[in-house]
Amino acid sequence: MKREHQETEAGGGGGYHVATAGDMTGAKGKMTAGPSMGTEDDDCGVDELLAALGYKVRSSEMADVAQKLEQLEVAMASTAAAASDDASVLPQIASDTVHYDPSDLATWLDSMLSELNAPPPPLPPPPPVAASVHHHHHRFDVSTASAVSEPPAITTVAPLRPSDAYDFKPVPAPAAASGGRVVYGLDPQSEMIVSPRDQKRKRTCSPSSSSSRGAEAGRARGSRTEGASSAKPAAAVPVVVVDTQESGIRLVHALMACAEAVQQENLKAADALVKHISVLAASQDGPMRKVAGYFAAAIARRIYRRRPLSQVDRALDSPALDDLLHGHFYESCPYLKFAHFTANQAILEAFSSCRRVHVIDFGMRQGLQWPALLQALALRPEGPPSLRLTGIGPPQSDHSDALQQVGWKLAMLAKSIGVDFRYRGFVASSLADLESRMLLERDGNEGDRDDEGEEEAVAVNSVMELHRLLARTGALEKVLRMVLAVRPRIVTVVEEEANHNGGTFLDRFTEALHYYSSMFDSLEGSGGQAAEAGEEEQQQHRAMAEAYLGRQICNVVACEGAERTERHETLGQWRGRMARAGFEPAHLGSNAFKQASMLLALYAGGDGFRVEETDGCLTLGWHTRPLIATSAWRVSAAATR
Amino acid sequence: MAGSNEVNANESKMVVPLNTWVLISNFKLAYNMLRRPDGTFDRHLAEFLDRKVPANATPVNGVVSFDVLIDRPNNLLARIYRPAPSTASAAPLLTDLYRAPSSDPFPVIIFFHGGSFAHSSSNSAIYDSLCRRFVSLCGAVVVSVNYRRAPDHKYPCAYDDGWAALKWASGEPWLRSGKDAKLRVFLAGDSSGGNIAHHVALRAAESGIEVAGNVLLNAMFGGNCRTESEKRLDGKYFVTIQDRDWYWKAYLPEGADRDHPACNPFGPKGVKLEGLPFTKSLVIVAGLDLVQDWQLAYADGLKKAGHFVKLVYREQATIGFYLLPNTNHFYQVMEEIKNFVGSNLL
Repeated sequence: MKREHQETEAGGGGGYHVATAGDMTGAKGKMTAGPSMGTEDDDCGVDELLAALGYKVRSSEMADVAQKLEQLEVAMASTAAAASDDASVLPQIASDTVHYDPSDLATWLDSMLSELNAPPPPLPPPPPVAASVHHHHHRFDVSTASAVSEPPAITTVAPLRPSDAYDFKPVPAPAAASGGRVVYGLDPQSEMIVSPRDQKRKRTCSPSSSSSRGAEAGRARGSRTEGASSAKPAAAVPVVVVDTQESGIRLVHALMACAEAVQQENLKAADALVKHISVLAASQDGPMRKVAGYFAAAIARRIYRRRPLSQVDRALDSPALDDLLHGHFYESCPYLKFAHFTANQAILEAFSSCRRVHVIDFGMRQGLQWPALLQALALRPEGPPSLRLTGIGPPQSDHSDALQQVGWKLAMLAKSIGVDFRYRGFVASSLADLESRMLLERDGNEGDRDDEGEEEAVAVNSVMELHRLLARTGALEKVLRMVLAVRPRIVTVVEEEANHNGGTFLDRFTEALHYYSSMFDSLEGSGGQAAEAGEEEQQQHRAMAEAYLGRQICNVVACEGAERTERHETLGQWRGRMARAGFEPAHLGSNAFKQASMLLALYAGGDGFRVEETDGCLTLGWHTRPLIATSAWRVSAAATR
Repeated sequence: MAGSNEVNANESKMVVPLNTWVLISNFKLAYNMLRRPDGTFDRHLAEFLDRKVPANATPVNGVVSFDVLIDRPNNLLARIYRPAPSTASAAPLLTDLYRAPSSDPFPVIIFFHGGSFAHSSSNSAIYDSLCRRFVSLCGAVVVSVNYRRAPDHKYPCAYDDGWAALKWASGEPWLRSGKDAKLRVFLAGDSSGGNIAHHVALRAAESGIEVAGNVLLNAMFGGNCRTESEKRLDGKYFVTIQDRDWYWKAYLPEGADRDHPACNPFGPKGVKLEGLPFTKSLVIVAGLDLVQDWQLAYADGLKKAGHFVKLVYREQATIGFYLLPNTNHFYQVMEEIKNFVGSNLL
């Protein structure tokens, strides 16, 4: 199936560097193995010209790769000749083979050669997309079957106390900057938003730790970047203009001017511009109006920041409300469905032929991801494994046990489809509060269910949870160490595909404006034939989804420090982080891509949604702008102790 | 056995650099997997395999790009490439992107990517690279049209999208330049893109829209009969008669043959160009391209109809020579394009 394969990375910011296109005096007629553009050591000797076109081939391997191409051609030609006279194509190679990472030519060609030379036994059919289950995810068809003979094994662990064993430092807000540049280090004037729980801890922030935080953007402004390359090219800003009206452009211009004023601490000008924006936005229609509204409100909040958080703020911060909006976001557009689908695909493949499996979900919420996985496991040709699900969720303000409720519903579903299922919920304010031993240990009453000596395969699943950890120095690293300790077979990570965590306020604002403009525009386009909701219900979903995104916008724009939890980063940045933490990529293949594309056709209205493959990861975007990225990871050989 | 089944790796390997050979052979292999004998196309696998790049408003080598939805009902996107605006901030504002790069006359090149009507997109890496080069080369704004492809969308969709792009460009004030505030537009394309450029130029001539020039790079034309070059070069340099036939069948209307005017503009069903204000053309032909006889016939047809043609014939060039900047063919043809655009920037 998948090959163990070490990725060589060229640093953040996307799949590959663009080679110097203006180099008119470059080598002619021969393979170029020119000077690298500040790439890593293990990247040496990659053919630069091919790299610019998206193909990674080492110059030293070029002849080898050429030979493989020839071999494949011979093999295909002879098979075609044997098949029929006028068949110049070999459809089997396309339909049966699962392709991975087409950028890595050598490995891709190898996989096809081995397919052709030693035809494998017929592959098991890919897990069917249980469309009906997707529909009913939040209804949890409870079968009124025979009475439960034994209590479903659901336990919820009481809220954990944050351990004092480690030192968490909140990320300081950027200092009042001159010329819009962030000044690193401790600035007595900078606002340090410290939540009560951190008051016991030291409040100092060493310059080195804060510089590593802010420099993650990839903008080469002389700031030190963690890990790999030194001279990174400036971060790419993908812009998709969907509204070319004059008024739309003026609105964006006003928003940018406002953000610039905020950055320069010219609050009077900023305030005037906020009002101007409201006027402009009123004459707009469509998504741009709403986006402008949210951004203007967020700026206003930033200007008139109230500290500490008011009662209203705290009420609005309830996880229950968040889950509600999240549910509507799930319904109104395909992003979360894509996330769940692609992550489940990777988990299923990792679990193939395992009899005991354990899924740890870093953000259980309403458990929307899991009915489909349950169904797919139930339908496995080799029969379902016994599944243990650990769900993690935040404390609920009204003391309701939402985590337990979800577990119950899933247990009912599992029982109705014949999957042996155990569930456990963990309440934690932060993932960093967890310890690996907690996640791994089992309850006493499971003793009689253990299979003899069969190891449990573990999957760790994180859908839009990791970025929150970046609000506290060291939190992500701690969590990733914990994940390593759990010895997972697969780690699935889904994140917003954007850099909302680096550079200056203005940089962040610009990025967010482009990102959420595309997002909101895509909400208008969503719907799809398979949506069972009527027109009115769809509109309600959309309104709530917009509110869901609006809260994110507010957090990105108005908040700083520990409060700013929507610290989205790009696939390139996450790749770096995962690699440093001891993980290697597990590629998502053409089968996942195909099925995701087909699912999209079912659920999404309009052709604006695009699935793309980049370096073994899958992204879903609106037109040419990727908005959400799914990646899968394994513990790297080097990290195995 | 048909010529298409012979392996002629040795011949093609001798005329291109090794990395070019690898690139084009890789495309050939991938494309073979995507075309099904029944005429259907594995679109999902095609999109999976295609290497794409995002637009980038941050200047790279003095060029920025951004995507624009130019026709919402058809989801018609175009990628705009332009010289980086001279502003203080590193990331250009949207207003900067929509400002003319200069008040002096500058060319607007509407580019149609190749792919035999079925493959590639405006955000394919190979075409992103080429369009960026055109910006630097000609000081141009390049509009790369993401036209609808076959077999999902047959004739005349690609031409309609090309026409929509031309109309869109005509309506953008920032694309006008010079004292007469005129749109100085060129139509350019490689392979199927060259074919599209011709047909859009034809429609422009029929509609009275002025086009400054056409640039056709290894344009895709054909016809029912088998020309000498097709028979001689079948299967020798990456391309076969069989695959050409498949793509025409995929693009042309059901039941049409290759003498359809889309495929064979100077054939028995062709439109007469005499008397029409058809634009000037730069026609580039690769001497190892099996459809060169059709391309040469095209250039001839334009001449006979009284229209200006500059023919550039590169004897030892294969298809795709313009994808990598590693041969004389590449640099000299780029120079020709630069001169043609420059001298027709009236």
